[in-house]
Amino acid sequence: MSTSVHPEIEASLIDNLRQGDATAYKTAVREYSPGMLAVARFYLDPSSAEEIVQDCWVTVIDAIHKFEGRSGLKTWLHRIVANRCKNRLRTSNREVATDFSETLDPELASRFNSNGRWGVPPKLQFHESADTLMENDALSDCLDKHLSNLPETQRSALMLYEAHQHKSEDVCNILDVSASNLRVLLHRGRQKIFLMVETFQETGEC
Amino acid sequence: MLMCKDLAEIASDYIDDELTGRQNLSVKMHLMMCRHCRTFIGNLRASTDLLKVHSSGQENEELIRKIDERVAEALGARKSEGGVRE
Repeated sequence: MSTSVHPEIEASLIDNLRQGDATAYKTAVREYSPGMLAVARFYLDPSSAEEIVQDCWVTVIDAIHKFEGRSGLKTWLHRIVANRCKNRLRTSNREVATDFSETLDPELASRFNSNGRWGVPPKLQFHESADTLMENDALSDCLDKHLSNLPETQRSALMLYEAHQHKSEDVCNILDVSASNLRVLLHRGRQKIFLMVETFQETGEC
Repeated sequence: MLMCKDLAEIASDYIDDELTGRQNLSVKMHLMMCRHCRTFIGNLRASTDLLKVHSSGQENEELIRKIDERVAEALGARKSEGGVRE
């Protein structure tokens, strides 16, 4: 999953998409679908989310002619997915249920004493760089597992902000959450990943 | 005074530079004195960086294949209508 496409490469990709070039579509589908799915999973169950992403690509074939390039291609695609999902929710009268009240993960919160100091402090420092850590296949699998266990809302927020490197305001717009609620989602998600890496480093187990 | 638990609550905001000047200063003061919180912030930041470099093994090949099929079909239909230039 790459994080950003060079503007010139993106411009030529958009040209080719406008011309209906099949290879350009294959490239774009591989590049952008994981992020589009992350957006859709925020709103919908897994199978509806996949359906929406498929439908969106068919829409893109016509809509790309109207794409004015005010945002990047990725942001534009993510907005199309978000709007479709919101329409789907509206017609089915469902809402995304999320609890924004607690900033601390309960497991992390239990590691502080009543005086607010660490009772069970973090033991090890993660010395290795992220790149080195991810060369460990077991850790990479473990991260996948924990990401898939995160609440959809936290996972989508993390993926869009970290992996796809959207700006906060874009994530808020795409996911329809306030800036302060996005902060909660990101912090809760990161704490889970922190706890997972800590356990993995201490025990070697996921 | 900022306690360790308070710092843990706003740790992501510190990492992302979303705190006010005053809050930022009190976090920095606390970090100077507290080894555990320094480790915590460092590890939380490292965990966050993992997500930036992590390429999920769960990329959905089946979904990509379905999208390719539907796009090819739709492109074919547009071409036969003359709607898309070669």
